[in-house]
Amino acid sequence: MIRTVFGLVLVLVLALLLVLAVPDVQPREELEGVGLESAARGYADTGSANLVTGVIVAYRGLDTLGEVVVLFCASTAVVLILTLFPLSRRPSRPSTIVSQTSGVLPAPIILFAVYFIAHSHLSPGGGFPGGTVIASAFLLVMLGSSGVPNSLGRLPAVESLAGLTFGLLGFWGVMTAGQFLNNGFLGTGTPGTIISAGIIPLISLAIGAKVASEFSGVFAAFRNTGGTE
Amino acid sequence: MSPLLMTIAAVSLGVMMLLAAVAVLFMRELLSAIILTGFISLSASVLFLLMDATDVAVTEASIGAVLATLIFLWGRGKIGGEE
Repeated sequence: MIRTVFGLVLVLVLALLLVLAVPDVQPREELEGVGLESAARGYADTGSANLVTGVIVAYRGLDTLGEVVVLFCASTAVVLILTLFPLSRRPSRPSTIVSQTSGVLPAPIILFAVYFIAHSHLSPGGGFPGGTVIASAFLLVMLGSSGVPNSLGRLPAVESLAGLTFGLLGFWGVMTAGQFLNNGFLGTGTPGTIISAGIIPLISLAIGAKVASEFSGVFAAFRNTGGTE
Repeated sequence: MSPLLMTIAAVSLGVMMLLAAVAVLFMRELLSAIILTGFISLSASVLFLLMDATDVAVTEASIGAVLATLIFLWGRGKIGGEE
């Protein structure tokens, strides 16, 4: 009861703050500043038909690298903590529905995710969302099997290689164009074709592989420490 | 989609999310609360989709609605399920 009241009070305070903040929000009809500049020059600069990915990976490449590092630290910490507590309970047998579905669905899910990642410079998509979708397919496989994976196999190698690829692509830009994560040194190609937009597709693939292997590792660790659901 | 329809959809989704968020507090069963938080994430994902942020919508759907919900479920399995 006290917890409920406490939660309600927290929600109400938050709601009050939001209501107070709303009148200050003015809808912006047109772009200004950095947004205007990116929208005007992004297409020619990055060669990416999808401007969002162009901004995230090319203009904000260093941010994305930092994001990947943060995710790496977080997943390392989670796996480290979870391996300190050994397996307490074996997972229960999955229901028929789950075990049957887990034999069929992962393949199309992974196919969609790979498309999502590989076409991120052409249509909505990106390495991070695609990677999480791949991880959810692996998760479905884990849920559908009553056994527990004893080792992560080559997942850590994939993760390290993907991270290394990201960094090396950045340094390649330093060597050839004098700028870390320079996007143009491979040529930006014809916008709208699959091989275009400089290093954006390569970095998307690297991010996708890294995120997918990290999340899969975290879930394998969770699965191994027990819980019955 | 016409602007009016879009506004109606966005507002009704927002109201549903708010109601679900308040309802989470009053759930007797932990399982219902977990499913409701998953529902909130899924509604947010639909909202992002309505606003043409497809990549954000996919991230929200896979992380918020699937992965986070499952972590909560595993946690519930670990602590036994009672409030």
